Amino acid sequence: MKLFPTSERPRHSKNRTGYWFVLPYVIFFGTFVAYPLMFSFILLFHRWNIVTPMEWVGLKNFERLLRDPLFFKSIWNTIVFLFIHIPLQIVVALGFAVLLNSRLKFRGFFRAVYFMPVVVSGVVVTILWQQLYAYDSGLLNRLLVMMGIDRVPWLINPDVAMPSVALMATWKNVGIYIILFLVGLQNVPNELYESASLDGATAIRQFFRITLPMLNPTIVVVVVLSTIGGFSLFIEPYVLTGGGPMQSTLSAVLYIYNQAFYFGHMGYAATLGFVFALIILCVVLLQRKVIESESTS
Amino acid sequence: MHSHRLILNALILFSTLALAGCSDRHEPEQRASDKIVELTYWPAPNPQEVQLADTLVREWNLLHPGIHVSMQPIPVSQSTEEVLLAAIAGKTTPDICSNIQPAALYEYSRAGGIIPFDTFPDFDSVARGRTPLDLLEPFRSPDGHYYQIPWKTNPVMMFYNVRMFEEVGIWRAPRTYSEFFAAAKKLTRDLNGDGQIDIWAGERDIRPIWWQRLFDFFPFYVGASTGKTLFKGGVPDFNDDAAVEVFRFFQECYQKNYFPHTYFQGGDPFLLEKKATHFAGPWEIATLRSLAPQVRFDVALLPVPDNHKGPVYTYGDYKNISIFGTSKHPREAWEFVKFLLQPRNDLMLLKITDQIPVRGDLLKNPLFAEYFKRNPKMVRFAEQALYTRSIDSGPDLKEILDAISQEYEACAVYGRITPSDAVTDAMKRTTMIVEWNK
Repeated sequence: MKLFPTSERPRHSKNRTGYWFVLPYVIFFGTFVAYPLMFSFILLFHRWNIVTPMEWVGLKNFERLLRDPLFFKSIWNTIVFLFIHIPLQIVVALGFAVLLNSRLKFRGFFRAVYFMPVVVSGVVVTILWQQLYAYDSGLLNRLLVMMGIDRVPWLINPDVAMPSVALMATWKNVGIYIILFLVGLQNVPNELYESASLDGATAIRQFFRITLPMLNPTIVVVVVLSTIGGFSLFIEPYVLTGGGPMQSTLSAVLYIYNQAFYFGHMGYAATLGFVFALIILCVVLLQRKVIESESTS
Repeated sequence: MHSHRLILNALILFSTLALAGCSDRHEPEQRASDKIVELTYWPAPNPQEVQLADTLVREWNLLHPGIHVSMQPIPVSQSTEEVLLAAIAGKTTPDICSNIQPAALYEYSRAGGIIPFDTFPDFDSVARGRTPLDLLEPFRSPDGHYYQIPWKTNPVMMFYNVRMFEEVGIWRAPRTYSEFFAAAKKLTRDLNGDGQIDIWAGERDIRPIWWQRLFDFFPFYVGASTGKTLFKGGVPDFNDDAAVEVFRFFQECYQKNYFPHTYFQGGDPFLLEKKATHFAGPWEIATLRSLAPQVRFDVALLPVPDNHKGPVYTYGDYKNISIFGTSKHPREAWEFVKFLLQPRNDLMLLKITDQIPVRGDLLKNPLFAEYFKRNPKMVRFAEQALYTRSIDSGPDLKEILDAISQEYEACAVYGRITPSDAVTDAMKRTTMIVEWNK
């Protein structure tokens, strides 16, 4: 039996109105995604400084990458940043979320205040922190000196600079994660806390035995989002330290940017970007596997 | 009838004369405009050099009605090099430019935009007549051609605050590293006893900015190696004792706190009399005269290692002249270049810009005597100009100097690596960059 009588069959092949509806997206995709991607792929095998003609170099860009310790250092720096930033982010955001979830006066006001750095421009925030971190005249060091403590070389000591960047990045982004944790906290059934209280569990015990396990999915989301954000670390070191001192805050994206726009090596920068994208892909796949195995168990 | 004929004759005569007059007036003009050659000249965009270029171009146009030169300062951008590279790519280069940074010439000629000077038959006599061969030779490209002719140089020397030196009983500028450290020990002082140093022996920008190395590592290396530069035959060639000595010198300056570990904010510390020495070119004289007339200063050779022998070389911040491949009139452009290089125009260069023309007879030619009599400190720079080296021309000089900057920061400023490791690491990275560019 035919589903449609011949005369009522949808005429997919002749009705082209739909194509017009998708055309704006196709144009957008072609201009801003497909073309740059293809062009980057071509650049992998060329040397090009924008102004002079492209020069075919074969696999030379990849050869240089393998011998470039600075690229590996920039990846290591990014990993160091992630290792400081993610736990700090989770602890601070969770702490504030628990506070803001309790019965507090002006709760709405505080929630808005903690979210404000998220909406302020990253460059503005970074410049403000640059003033705070200044060795001689910065507010933080002046406070320390007033308290009789030695100045901290926040941005001029290679061992301290990356933690300083991570601290600033945490302050900037913590608001969004507070919101995520607040949502998670409000989904924890109250009955669990009531029955735990009846059983005599302290607040700390309740936090570790009820709140934290119930927030596990939110923590996973925060880890994934922080990892993605951390890998694209750029504005903070670019404005705050320029990648120094001693390249201790040179992130992978900043190094790629420098190669492209400071030294004019578009082809090499494309190669670095390609390899870096592969590394991120691997990390994300690994995270996905861990998350999937956790949810199965 | 007679009157009619008279009128007719008059009309014929008038029209003939008028026509003849018309043709007489227009033809030579058309021929002249056909013959006028138009040239474009780009000088550096700073006010002094624009003033110099304007004066020279006016004079040239008066003297050479057949070759008209239009002067246009190099369009303002982040750097002259970027503007010129973009102009080469867009085929919008001028005929002549007098702000060619020798280090960037490699990129220009790779982009295919420069005419070799040695194709002009009188190049040798003009160039050698003005510039000693020792200074001319480094500007010969590896292919044997001269794509640039040295025009002016700003030798980097040591300025020192005479009052500060006298206060601590030093009456002569230090000549060697040991003498510098001995002086630095006395000069670096906490004046008010608050535990903070108020006067530093010296100071350098601690940020690893590539061009900063043109005012510390590179001139000191040229000095310590008696005139060597970073490359030999296109191959990195600074893995030697001189480079190690220079890194060690700066490491000690920071380790012993003769130089501050922070970035000075709030102005030039030499002008503010917060540091006793400063490494700069002759432009600093005009700056000191206008912004800090109270500073009593003098100029000396850069310090060299204790066992140094021979003349003390330094980096001469050269700016050269080139003719671009887009020029339709290279011969006429060469004539204009020769005009720029004339002794009286070199005198004008000295007078207006206080920069040193690359001439061998600067201190012998009576033409310049009066200028040097009125500007005795410029004599030091004129003497030093004969012992200067430019930065090498090659690919990616910016990244190579950045690599040296990173090692300078790690070794000198932070003292985290040894001088020999700094040189080895800088060599490794430079070699990688050079090989990638082959």
